[in-house]
Amino acid sequence: MKIPPFKEINPPTKDGFWINKKTKERFGGQYISPLLVPNLKRVEKGFFKAIKDKKFMTELNEELLSFIGVNTPVHFSPELTKLAGGEKKIGKIYLKRTDLHTNHSHKPVSAYSSCKLAKYLGFKKILTETGAFQNGRAVASACAALGLDLDIYVGAKDAKKLAINKDISALHGANIIEVHDSTKSLLPAMAAALRAFQSEPDSMYVVGSVAGPMPYPLLVRTFASVIGRITKKQFKDLVGKDPSTIFCVCGGGSNMLSIQYPYLRTKNTKLYAVESAGKGLKTGKHGATIGGGGKMGILLGMQSKVLLAGENIAESFTEASGLDFSSIGPEVAYLQSIGRIKFLTATDLEAKKTFMMMARKVGLICAIEACYVIHAAIKEIRKIGKPKQNHLIHLCGAGEPNVAQMMEHMKKNK
Amino acid sequence: MSKLNILFKEAKKNKKKIFIGFVTSGDPNYKSSKEIMKEMTKSCQIIEAGQSFSTSTSDSPIIMEANDRAINSGMNMKKTFKLIKEVKRETKTNTCFVIMTYLNPVKIFGLKKFVNQCNFVGIDGVIIVDSNLNSPEEKILINGLSKNKIGYVKIISPTNDDEFIKQSIKNCHDSWLYITSYYGLTGSKNVNINNVKAMIKRVRKYSKDIPVAVGFGVKTPSQVKQVSKYADGVICGSTIVNKVAQGHKKRLKGKKLATFVSSYVKKLSKGIRK
Repeated sequence: MKIPPFKEINPPTKDGFWINKKTKERFGGQYISPLLVPNLKRVEKGFFKAIKDKKFMTELNEELLSFIGVNTPVHFSPELTKLAGGEKKIGKIYLKRTDLHTNHSHKPVSAYSSCKLAKYLGFKKILTETGAFQNGRAVASACAALGLDLDIYVGAKDAKKLAINKDISALHGANIIEVHDSTKSLLPAMAAALRAFQSEPDSMYVVGSVAGPMPYPLLVRTFASVIGRITKKQFKDLVGKDPSTIFCVCGGGSNMLSIQYPYLRTKNTKLYAVESAGKGLKTGKHGATIGGGGKMGILLGMQSKVLLAGENIAESFTEASGLDFSSIGPEVAYLQSIGRIKFLTATDLEAKKTFMMMARKVGLICAIEACYVIHAAIKEIRKIGKPKQNHLIHLCGAGEPNVAQMMEHMKKNK
Repeated sequence: MSKLNILFKEAKKNKKKIFIGFVTSGDPNYKSSKEIMKEMTKSCQIIEAGQSFSTSTSDSPIIMEANDRAINSGMNMKKTFKLIKEVKRETKTNTCFVIMTYLNPVKIFGLKKFVNQCNFVGIDGVIIVDSNLNSPEEKILINGLSKNKIGYVKIISPTNDDEFIKQSIKNCHDSWLYITSYYGLTGSKNVNINNVKAMIKRVRKYSKDIPVAVGFGVKTPSQVKQVSKYADGVICGSTIVNKVAQGHKKRLKGKKLATFVSSYVKKLSKGIRK
């Protein structure tokens, strides 16, 4: 297996924006304190040097294949196909299994690549943030393998919820810093990591999503797109053509772009993103930036769609820590604004029911985040209702960290 | 010429230095904050009023906590304008007022509306921490503010390269260049005098006369004195906000809290080299 090379098919402008020509909206940019400018410049310059460096890329790809196990399968799911209405009505449903990576989510690909870049550039320490601790754990494992120190910033609320991944990160030697600011979730954790980056220019910030100031949205999606590049080849080998649809869950958008990026110019493939509707969009307690009517705003160094509360950032709400984010990455927001990606939502309860269905009927314990997309995808595939279609769902994480939460749900609903 | 520019020019002519005090607008609430600013006009030639942003990426925990207090008390841009307007009217002070904030609150308030309100209220200068030097928003702000003779302050730090410093001097309009004495967060370390000297030297390579004021880590009257030896102005921020927090913890309110804070600010301002 050889990882297909990266091709830039959706470049931002020189100053780092994706611009919707019709609405003139600008997504991305670098809106940060002048104190952070040199740090970002160093990362940006180093990133472009590294991805052109054949030795670096060959080594990285080899390690992604061996250590991360990036060549996870794409396979037909007879159970989900049947559940959605059967092959004659809806075609076939396939799963991309990034839950089978080392560290059990899509995150390790960009996490390992970013840490490898940090080492290449001579940094000794990594700073990162985490929500569901999928990124935290992935970065902790990468830092252990590469001999780098690590500080993980996590919202105090999330730290309590996801004990296993937190413990695993600590076992890898990571220093875990709980953030007690504002909503005590992913957003203030990311702000805290950025503040730490401002104080420690000799450490490199590793972002867990396709968000933040440039070059991070570009860097993360470029590294993460290894998943989509492999998927594109696997799917063609398996089915003979590209998928009719690809469904992904969307918090910041990293798992979405990781698989959908190579398909952005594949006209026959419809792209979908699923946000968390939390307790329901109408209740106002949700994590759906697009579904909940997010507006253009500037936060964490980027201009993108944001859930606002007056001049400030609104609190998002969802039981899936990985989706508890009041904004989305700028490239994702741009792709939504030009109509390339269609957004759907699923509620927390729907995701929990889907978790149980996957456990009982399919035999998989999925990350709760992945259950939002499975629920919404089945609903949408039924709506499309055409035979001879080939649908692909990104199963982006394993559900061990959610076991305690789901046991509680099971007991309550007996 | 803006009032800020005149202030620095006059000071230079008279070989005097400017004392600048930062305080978070609406901390701990509108009423007490207004009294604090009114008292601060007695010892500050410039007051930087910080308009809070919930997701700030550059503030120390001291200022973050002040942001939370202000936001929780219902503070927003509109109220900051109202507060400053009332302070100016009730004190008839000569003190200049500068709004320091992040781009999101300004953009949501409306860039043009923000400039118009600054003009209407008589704001003398604006600092937007995360406004990129080359962004479209920056251009709109520079144009709007300069048309209305309102100063636009830019921040530079010891780790910025010469190209960045040159561009900052260019964008900085009718006001002063804000030099941070170290890299890091506001108030998280002590002022670094060697950095200050080196930074001023670097600025002077590109501009002989742009006023420079130094902030970050200036916490005592003797540090104020030391910095004012080299800079045209000295900025105290976190240390004042910390005093507000201390007073608030002691349950001081309104004029009592204002006196508690302002007597400290007065001590700091006396450090200015005469």
